[in-house]
Amino acid sequence: MQFDVTDTDSALIILVGESRIDAAIATSFKDKLREVILRHRKPVEMRMSSVDFMDSSGLGAMIALRKAMPQDLGMSLIGMTPNVERVFRLTRMDSVFDIRAAATDEEQKE
Amino acid sequence: MTPVGRQNAGLTGAVTAQARPMFHRVLPASPESVRNTLSDIRKRFRTNVDEDAMGRLELVLAEVMNNVTEHAAAVPEGEVMDHLPSIHLSVVMHDSGLSCAISDDGVLLPDECIKPRGLPVMDDADLPEGGFGWYLIQDLTQALCYYREGQRNFLAFSIPFADVAHEVGA
Repeated sequence: MQFDVTDTDSALIILVGESRIDAAIATSFKDKLREVILRHRKPVEMRMSSVDFMDSSGLGAMIALRKAMPQDLGMSLIGMTPNVERVFRLTRMDSVFDIRAAATDEEQKE
Repeated sequence: MTPVGRQNAGLTGAVTAQARPMFHRVLPASPESVRNTLSDIRKRFRTNVDEDAMGRLELVLAEVMNNVTEHAAAVPEGEVMDHLPSIHLSVVMHDSGLSCAISDDGVLLPDECIKPRGLPVMDDADLPEGGFGWYLIQDLTQALCYYREGQRNFLAFSIPFADVAHEVGA
């Protein structure tokens, strides 16, 4: 399972390195990341730009992780590709997650 | 054209024949072979199909084949699964979209999968983690039809190039 976890003061940044979150890996993806989230108990920022494809099993894993978040702590999904964004939009799950575009280099400089 | 002329027609001759890519495969219903098949379909159609239609095709085919795979894994107690169901898949390109035919020798597909359906109930306190697959299939396909014959399920549908289903509904 490919992901990098960085613990900053304010949030847990999870860089997802898997290109596909599909039925083949959804369960282990969910179990491993749930353990990380519960251990740190911080707001989570998931960096999603490496993920090219997600099916409804992958979406189910993301929803399970959202539900595993301790109360009052947010989960942001950053830099989703159009293919992945479609799954959230069609299932109306885009209203449940805090979805943000990846900051461009220029914005980061400002 | 003489036989020699045909042999020497070269690339130009092949192009004027207007050949379009198609895809056909028989695969076992396992998550790994579904994954490999989707990747090969993407390679096959990459130069002819735009990313938006390709993304919709890939999602629908994933949902259909995952469904066969998941139900194959859930064999009723007392029954022995001696082999994985085999999925037969064909994808053909035409002017307005991609036509797909899929059959499998897995368990009977319940009627409610094919009947028009909405999204699972959104309960903010307990969000649904499943039940999206057939909604996505119905939402993204046109002319979806299903029948069972003998030991096989047959499913056929089209993925339009332009996302006309949504434009009409809007």
